Amino acid sequence: MTKKEFLIALGEVVGGDAGGIRGDESLRDLDGWDSMASVAFMAMADERLGKLVGAADLAACKTVSDLMALFPGQIS
Amino acid sequence: MKAFIKAIEYHLPETILDNQQLAVEFPDWSAEKIMAKTGIAQRHIARNDECASDLGVLAARKLLASGVAAAKDLDFLILCTQSPDYFLPTTACLMQDRLGLPRSCGALDVNLGCSGFVYILGMAKGLIETGQARNVLLITAETYSKHINVRDKSVRTVFGDGAAATLVSAFASRKSPIGPFVYGTDGSGAANLMVPTGGMRKPRVAGAPLEQDQSNNQRTENDLFMNGPEIFNFTLRVIPPMVEQMLQKSGLRLEQIDLWVFHQANQFMLEHIRKKLGVSESRFVLSFADCGNTVSSTIPIALKNAAEKGQMKTGCKVAIAGFGVGYSWAGTVMEWKGPDRMTR
Repeated sequence: MTKKEFLIALGEVVGGDAGGIRGDESLRDLDGWDSMASVAFMAMADERLGKLVGAADLAACKTVSDLMALFPGQIS
Repeated sequence: MKAFIKAIEYHLPETILDNQQLAVEFPDWSAEKIMAKTGIAQRHIARNDECASDLGVLAARKLLASGVAAAKDLDFLILCTQSPDYFLPTTACLMQDRLGLPRSCGALDVNLGCSGFVYILGMAKGLIETGQARNVLLITAETYSKHINVRDKSVRTVFGDGAAATLVSAFASRKSPIGPFVYGTDGSGAANLMVPTGGMRKPRVAGAPLEQDQSNNQRTENDLFMNGPEIFNFTLRVIPPMVEQMLQKSGLRLEQIDLWVFHQANQFMLEHIRKKLGVSESRFVLSFADCGNTVSSTIPIALKNAAEKGQMKTGCKVAIAGFGVGYSWAGTVMEWKGPDRMTR
């Protein structure tokens, strides 16, 4: 998955503008990122990246970059 | 004698909490966003003076009024709730009296949530097929709203109150239309869906401070806490193997199941599980938009709604699975004995 595709998918998860996420935002400032979005993100990751993200690993993420770092070698 | 589901009725409290009302309380969420995130348009909420048992009695009276059975015919009552009237006595005993069931009727409470209906269906089958009972009334009744802090939108948007009454009756047959069952428990996940105080382990804390999580949900330790991501991981871990066991034990292939009725946890989880299992949309029941997650009542409510829509014909194979708080899970495959169309 490319970085652009990841950011678009993340945009769909948080319900915002699909092209609006730059990649350097903090999750606290990301409109729509909440507990519901966390579950939707995990579903997206499992479906499209084949990885079931651990809840603790997800909770430790503070930025969009941290989210991408959950998938080493899978986001180009 | 074998057991079958003869009738289902349900009751939802009159007070409705819709997305417009939630959007007023949580201004960073619009009504449309709540719908998009949860798939839920409204939930029913019990009054302050309305207990889970009250909802259960109303559901049971509706079932008895339909004429499928008289109170005098019932010889066992099982109430599944995590919102009992009291620590003691048993709430099912109180309901026996309120419903005018015979004093020869057995009655007990089962403290389970999302897996509860399947568990008590298994118990009913056991009672009937060992000759201990002929007409078992299963009541699932819940008022999670009373465990939830109004400032916690993560759970307030998802859970709704309600009750279902299911009559499981005996009939003469060589083959049992309900079963086999698969059960599971993992108590290591208990803290991920919990009301931490109010029981014997830790009494309710007077003046407990309000705490805020990373998603700005607020609750005290007296309130329901749910770790959505952990619950999601749990369901993905246990449901595929459980479904495999259900199919293996019943000697069926996935495509031979006509209808899948899972615990109606939330939209994302259900849709993801459906895709993961490879079940088509037309065979996968979704029934939570108008009532939310009613915990142990989601499966009987979904079965009733599917029957009313004509989705369940006599003889069709229906797989049901409940999973969640505990962690606890259970599943079974049933051959629907009809009627082809249940009416309210």
